[in-house]
Amino acid sequence: MRTNRRVPFPWPLLRFWTLRMLLAWFLIAFWIFLFQLIVCGIVHDNEKVKAFLQYIDLLPGFIKTMMSGDALQLGNIAGLISIGYQEPFILFLYMLYAVGVPTALLAGEVMNGNMELILSRPTTKTHVYICVALITIVGMAALVLVMFLGTVVATNLYDFEQEVPLYAFFKLAVVGGLLAGTVGGIALLTAACFSRITAISLTVAFLVVNYFISIVSEWWPVMKPLTPFTIFYYIDPPLILGQSVWPIRDIAVLITLLAVSTLLGGVIWQHRDLPL
Amino acid sequence: MPADKAIEIKVLTKRYGSARGIDDLSFDIEKGEIFGYLGPNGSGKTTTIRCLMGLLRPTSGQCNVLGRRIEAGHATQHTHIGYLPGDFHIWAGRSARKSLKLMAELGNGKNCNKRQEELAERLDLDLDRRVRALSKGNRQKVGVVYAFGHQPEVLILDEPTIGLDPLISQVVLDLIREAANEGATVLLSSHDLSEVAAVCERAAILREGRLIELAPISKIIQQGQRQLKVWFIQGKNVPASTADLPEGVRVISRDSQSLHISYSGAADTVLKWLARFPVDRIDTLQTSLEEAFMQYYRKEDGHEN
Repeated sequence: MRTNRRVPFPWPLLRFWTLRMLLAWFLIAFWIFLFQLIVCGIVHDNEKVKAFLQYIDLLPGFIKTMMSGDALQLGNIAGLISIGYQEPFILFLYMLYAVGVPTALLAGEVMNGNMELILSRPTTKTHVYICVALITIVGMAALVLVMFLGTVVATNLYDFEQEVPLYAFFKLAVVGGLLAGTVGGIALLTAACFSRITAISLTVAFLVVNYFISIVSEWWPVMKPLTPFTIFYYIDPPLILGQSVWPIRDIAVLITLLAVSTLLGGVIWQHRDLPL
Repeated sequence: MPADKAIEIKVLTKRYGSARGIDDLSFDIEKGEIFGYLGPNGSGKTTTIRCLMGLLRPTSGQCNVLGRRIEAGHATQHTHIGYLPGDFHIWAGRSARKSLKLMAELGNGKNCNKRQEELAERLDLDLDRRVRALSKGNRQKVGVVYAFGHQPEVLILDEPTIGLDPLISQVVLDLIREAANEGATVLLSSHDLSEVAAVCERAAILREGRLIELAPISKIIQQGQRQLKVWFIQGKNVPASTADLPEGVRVISRDSQSLHISYSGAADTVLKWLARFPVDRIDTLQTSLEEAFMQYYRKEDGHEN
């Protein structure tokens, strides 16, 4: 009787998938980094800020809300720099990675027929899921660090009249990363349950509904009671930048959502028959 | 489980919601045996194989490979199994060599480069081309290299010669024989019944998820309806009427001098009936596995004459 109790962790698969995602990661990281330089390049100069704020005031109110709201004021350097952390383009880049990686690697490999081959080797479904979760979550964390690094580099490149509260930006980056990680967890869950297209559609729908509620509720009070049910409720940049303490409650909620969605996805993935 | 059984399937049932997959399948395969697994499309062959590979979770029952119960998703015994899926896919943008190397690294096949080279040479396959650029037949060859590359103890092959030309198909059948000679156990699922007859000792026939036959190939062939071609002496007439044919005998074709008939059971009855006519000569036609196989389905469908 053969004994094969322990199946080794598929490091070669983790390496292969990481390399496959690396180019996309670098491109996203490059844009996030560059965006911080651009934002700091604009906001370090009061004349440019004035012009920028005049321009923003011409646009519909919700756009200002999307970019930092009342924090966009001349002299509020931290609020102005935080545009680089909240601007929809940056959120889009994060979500692109958070949604794209699990759906490409989990549901995508099932759809392409490669998963049948991977699972015919001494590789368990749990190991495969862990590989995807690691690439998603570690990749998101690394993007957050790149974003913060962008701010650090930019504050050294440009002179600011006030001291830039880098520690506060680090906190903002961590909470922002957790928020994006939560979306990654939701994408892992949907990718474990559905085909690639359905998984992408459901995750994007989840994001759009959450974002819509959080933005619309700013100028339509009827929507306010719904905001605690959205993930964007659990990140408050002005509060993070204005206070020295960490937003423990928000962090706990986001970590719980990330853990629950990731674990639930893992359990479903393990028990689900793949549509091979 | 007895030590001489490489694969054992015990009352295995798999349902897809209300749809049938396989129903109460039980059979086992001895070590070193080449076992044919036959059935039309949708009969449950691939479902059985995927349960055996732990890719599907059975509704009930169990599969054992080399003495261990297969647990879905746990890669049980996969170190010892060479698997060729019915619809073989591998990363299209990479060369076959790189993909095979990766798959080999996911297990015990780190040292199978030499073997893969040998196999590629025998199959006339260029491993350095991107899979996307390969024809369907050449992709199937990559699958064959993948399945045989690490010299597994158990080979589970789902339609291994699909898309291959006859010459390469013969090479694959040779590889199967060689593997069995070296002690490997082979489960060969195929639509090409002649190839099953060429290499297998025993076969199971599946229909609508149920096992309808499990026997040596020779017995499967014998169990079909037998056929006779009878020529009558020139100038004499062929029996004008066949209305009085004994039960179980039917006319397949007739012309002015001969009758082609099939019968089941003993030849005695049909010979006694023929003795009433001026018979010149009789040919006993070899029943092919295909004919025997089709007859299983006629029987099951209630079309037997």
